[in-house]
Amino acid sequence: MISLSTSAFYDRSTQQLTSLRDKAASLQQQISTGERLERSSDDPVAAARLRMLSRSEALAKVDTRSSQVAETNLTMSDDTLSSITDVINRARELAVQGSSETLNDDQRKAIGAEIQSLHDNLVTLANSRDPQGNALFGGEGGGMAYTLNGGTVTFTGTTNVTPIEIGDGQTVTPALTGPEVFNFNGPNGATDLFSVLSNLAAALNAGGSTATAGSKDALGQLDSGLDKVTTAQTMIGTRLNWVDVMSNRRIANADRVAQEKSDVGGADIGVTISKLQETMTVLEASQSSFARLANLSLFSILR
Amino acid sequence: MASDLLTIAASGTNVARSALNVTAQNIANASTEGYVRRDLRTAEVAAAGGMGRVNDISLSGSTVAEVHRNADSFLQSEVRRTGSDLARANAELSGLKNIESSLEQTGAFDSIVNLEASLQQLSSDPTNSSQRSAVLASASTLANTLNITSSALDATAQGLQSDAGAHVDEANGIGSDLARLNLKLANAGPNNSDRPSLLDQRDQLLEKLSGYSAIGTTFASDGTVAVTLGTNPPRSFVQGGTSATLGMAVAANGTLSFAVDGQATDPGSGNLAGAASALTEVDATRTRLDQLASNLATTFNTAQAAGVDASGAPGKPMFTGTTAGTIKLALQSGQDFATAPAGAPAGSRDTSNLDALRQSLSSLDPAGTYNNLLFDVSSKVSGRQVTQSALDTIASSAQAALQQQSGVNLDNEATNLIRYQQAFQASGRAMQVASDIFNTLLGIGR
Repeated sequence: MISLSTSAFYDRSTQQLTSLRDKAASLQQQISTGERLERSSDDPVAAARLRMLSRSEALAKVDTRSSQVAETNLTMSDDTLSSITDVINRARELAVQGSSETLNDDQRKAIGAEIQSLHDNLVTLANSRDPQGNALFGGEGGGMAYTLNGGTVTFTGTTNVTPIEIGDGQTVTPALTGPEVFNFNGPNGATDLFSVLSNLAAALNAGGSTATAGSKDALGQLDSGLDKVTTAQTMIGTRLNWVDVMSNRRIANADRVAQEKSDVGGADIGVTISKLQETMTVLEASQSSFARLANLSLFSILR
Repeated sequence: MASDLLTIAASGTNVARSALNVTAQNIANASTEGYVRRDLRTAEVAAAGGMGRVNDISLSGSTVAEVHRNADSFLQSEVRRTGSDLARANAELSGLKNIESSLEQTGAFDSIVNLEASLQQLSSDPTNSSQRSAVLASASTLANTLNITSSALDATAQGLQSDAGAHVDEANGIGSDLARLNLKLANAGPNNSDRPSLLDQRDQLLEKLSGYSAIGTTFASDGTVAVTLGTNPPRSFVQGGTSATLGMAVAANGTLSFAVDGQATDPGSGNLAGAASALTEVDATRTRLDQLASNLATTFNTAQAAGVDASGAPGKPMFTGTTAGTIKLALQSGQDFATAPAGAPAGSRDTSNLDALRQSLSSLDPAGTYNNLLFDVSSKVSGRQVTQSALDTIASSAQAALQQQSGVNLDNEATNLIRYQQAFQASGRAMQVASDIFNTLLGIGR
């Protein structure tokens, strides 16, 4: 048993009370912030892990936004492709009518006029814009996907689409380019929907046997074109599915990260409160025993 | 030579009074720093009988032999040694904590992550002008936080350097005080009443000095002390009445070196050693931080040079400056950020250049690098904290051992008060008896 000198007794008591008070304050802070670490050095390994976890959380948020962008673009592409299918189906009906030899040339011209307007609709659809204002089928180009010049439709976009990252190093290509939708190999070789429709309109306008032959020819081409568009729709559907799968994965991942963050850096409230209670009990006991011991001087007894 | 009862009793009261004085002195200095408890050593005064009267009773009372100073030089040197180690650990730990705060609280790590995130976001929509601005804003924030981190490190270094400078001055002051004390101690005789308080001062100065640096002491029998300072090798600092001068030099990288009268030495322990090693750590941290800033600037500038901006013009450098303190965003507008490869037209949504930048960023891994930097510093802090608390325990038990031996305990002094008061009263009673005997003798024959 060390018999302390008086000044050492006071010094030591002050030190002990201060350190208990510090400990209580630190526990109180842990409870109110819900976090176990005040600074990295409290637990360097956990702190480093926490930083990397917050980083992956921050980057996952970007992935979520990107995958929303991809989803919107893909859904828009899908809708546009449905409209294109409608146009093709209507053109096909008209071509069937046009191939009939019972029509007179005026009726054929009327059909030809409708085909022409379908052609114009198709150009408008091909120049659809995504929510960011870029050409949906224009690839990486900044302007229009197709330009109409003297009745000729030319693809002016690029044939590349930059894939978007949607987490875990996975990507999705958020759109199709014009040629992937409109260009195809028909019975008479490579062509595109625009020339099929404008040729059909021209043939119907010409009337006579040109019109019927042209309509029959167009029927075959339109079938191939429809095939191409439905294939494109299937591709879009697959990509939407992929985005969905990745979204679910990201949600599961976010749960895991949040769980790990709270495991690594969270203060267990129950344990912390009971530690605080323990510290407070010790602190109160130390304070009252200090008060008693400090009074316990022979001088206060000697009169 | 026989002595009379009255003389014996008077010597007893004298001794008791002196003992009471010493006790009162102890009580008065109970909380005086560096005060060492005094004890009164008494001696019996008894002469042998004269020639042929060897068996005579010849008692002459008691006398004060010595006012003893309860100092134990071993315990004191332990207190100096452990205190010196603790001072080193404290100084180093506080420097390291400042480095940790500089790195952590400026939020540079978050800025790096934000820049990465904004680049990733931009890649999904490269022509979006608000996202281009977001990239520039987060790049500017990153440059600013790196500047702030660097100046926080500067402030830490300056604080450590100016503290160390002040401590060197104080150590030199202590050196000359010790030299003066040596002269006084050499002049004061062994029974000079100044002596214990001079010795108190000496020990207190030595303890203070050991807080700055490792010291070696050699005590002479007259109480003077020769002091060496530092380790590898220790240099003579105080010798007799002369003291040397401790000098400190700050190198260009902010680290410290020390010399006594121009001869290099290493403080070894004490807060000068702590400050020196914390400054070495500041320098290492700054080197790594500057490297990171320079790599970031190079990576971005190289990528900019390889691509074209939103208007199709070749990219301009993104950052100027090559250190954490000087790095600065050079681009004015988000449109200047080169996302498309060279040769791409204006407004191109081709992100190959941005992808290449993100590729080289991911191999540079600035977030991981910064995380490691912070981890290294914080694990040093955490390791030093363990060492510091162990040294604290060791130092305070050495202190307690010394206090137990040399400190004032008021309970003991209260006991002594009563004991010596009773001794005084008892001696007084003996005088009363002597007086009674004398009166009895006078009364004979009346």
